[in-house]
Amino acid sequence: MNKFHPSWVAAAATALLVACSGGGEGDQSARVEYGKMVTFGDSLSDVGSYNVGVIASMGGGRYSINTGDKVNWTELLATTVGVDALCPAETGLNSAPELGGPVATVDHAGCYSYAQGGARVTNPIGPGNAALLALGDPSGALGQLTKPVVEQIGRHLAAVGGSFAADDLVTVMAGGNDLFMQLAAFEAMVGAGMPVDQASEAVVTAMGQAGAELAAYVTTQIVANGATHVVVVNVPDAANAPAFLGSPDTQALVTAMLTTYNGQLAAGLAASSDKVLLVDAYTVSQDQAVHPTQYGLSDVTHPACDLEHMPLATSLACTVDTLVAGVTETWQYADTVHPTPYGYKLLAQLVTAEMSKKGWL
Amino acid sequence: MKKTLTSALMLTALALASNNALAQDAGTVAVKFGYNQIMPQVSSGDLSAPSMPGTKIDVKEAGAPIMTLTYMYTPAISFELYAGLPYEHEIVGDGAIKGVGKIASVKQVSPTLFAQYRFFDKESTFRPYVGLGLTYAYFYGEEGSGNLTALTNPGGDPTLLEVDDAWGISPQVGATVKIDRNWFVDMAVIKSFIKTTSHLSTGQSIDTKLDPLAVSLSVGYRF
Repeated sequence: MNKFHPSWVAAAATALLVACSGGGEGDQSARVEYGKMVTFGDSLSDVGSYNVGVIASMGGGRYSINTGDKVNWTELLATTVGVDALCPAETGLNSAPELGGPVATVDHAGCYSYAQGGARVTNPIGPGNAALLALGDPSGALGQLTKPVVEQIGRHLAAVGGSFAADDLVTVMAGGNDLFMQLAAFEAMVGAGMPVDQASEAVVTAMGQAGAELAAYVTTQIVANGATHVVVVNVPDAANAPAFLGSPDTQALVTAMLTTYNGQLAAGLAASSDKVLLVDAYTVSQDQAVHPTQYGLSDVTHPACDLEHMPLATSLACTVDTLVAGVTETWQYADTVHPTPYGYKLLAQLVTAEMSKKGWL
Repeated sequence: MKKTLTSALMLTALALASNNALAQDAGTVAVKFGYNQIMPQVSSGDLSAPSMPGTKIDVKEAGAPIMTLTYMYTPAISFELYAGLPYEHEIVGDGAIKGVGKIASVKQVSPTLFAQYRFFDKESTFRPYVGLGLTYAYFYGEEGSGNLTALTNPGGDPTLLEVDDAWGISPQVGATVKIDRNWFVDMAVIKSFIKTTSHLSTGQSIDTKLDPLAVSLSVGYRF
């Protein structure tokens, strides 16, 4: 049997072309099994605290382009880790009469999304709070509840018997409203005659304190009370958001305030690294502004929502029907600071990548 | 792998029982069975937008039983076809997503046809050889993961992937050691130059040079 037989080749070739079924989605479950998600923070994590009254009537509720679908990064993350869909722990609005009047505040048992638009770290008065009306800030007409993060955490602990579950996935993202309120304070101080340098130093220092306070709440209120998976996202680079473009002085101040805030936050969390994941949204958002195409972003400088013609100039009331002409799905900003659904998706992607690296997904 | 090695050893033992030499002469046909370990030496491109800058992948090594068919065209020149069972490789994150672990898996078979030159006399016990092969890398059975979906489409539909098939050139060095007139042991090292592109259902893609190094140990029988 010294002859080379062609049928062998055919047999070998057939053996090669074994089952060639198409690909699949594989195992979609996360490596860590979470029981539920608990979120603390501000508008960037709000899943509908103010989706009542005038906001509900406008089809809003999320600080983005409201599509009727999940848009916030925390909602996307909930789907990714396979827990129940998020729902706001508290709803309500203290709206002025011209905005339909107040809507009673309601607690929702079994809902653990405490993040509220306008919320600050410690101070209970954030943007859109009704108390601001008396101070001459018209944003107060909307009457956002703006319960600060420290109060949000306390409310949760009270609701669940004082401790987090070991299988909770906790997210914390706040600081943006401290920035806005401190900027307003800066204007007021300068308006009252304080030298700019001195006023700048005051608000930068205040931001650093807020960052340190948030870190302290995470370690002493969240981790110390049993949470083992706490994702803390720092404040994205608002200096490059449409709100501040074209005002270099303000941009420089915003940069100083946010780097100080984020620095204090990081310093305060450094010791609890095994239970806390600090996600650096600041650096990535800076890169997004400089290299938008890398992130598939087609516009990083204009609000997609038609703020000039909307009855309420905020993405909270923005829908697919209130956009400026020419908006595509890949714009970064819905209003002057809040992301579009695509922008939130990029944020979610950043968070999931970091969680995955830490073995939390 | 254990099983395969055990049977290989049994074949070797059987082979040692007889002792008549069969030359690697023109017209001789031989088959080999063995085990091949493929170690991709990946040089990854970046995942296309939208992605974190420098999002790369790595492909882990995999092993599987192989079968080869050799035809001696002359006492020195041979042709050899490598075939075998599929390999399953893990695809893991690298670059900006280094540390995320497994993001997908893919199966492949890569039949290769070699032209070989064998040194020394046809009766030699030890015959080293060099070869140059043409490889067709056939990828199939791609499976995504929760990780891949989380990284590319969080909160959305599971991300699927597809790896393009590819042709490659495969230089080879190896040697046979004769046991008796029919049986021999063969060891070979093959480097393949293979470049492919993986496509995600999100519309993203990533170019990857796999350039695997493969090492095989086989037991052969000459007819």
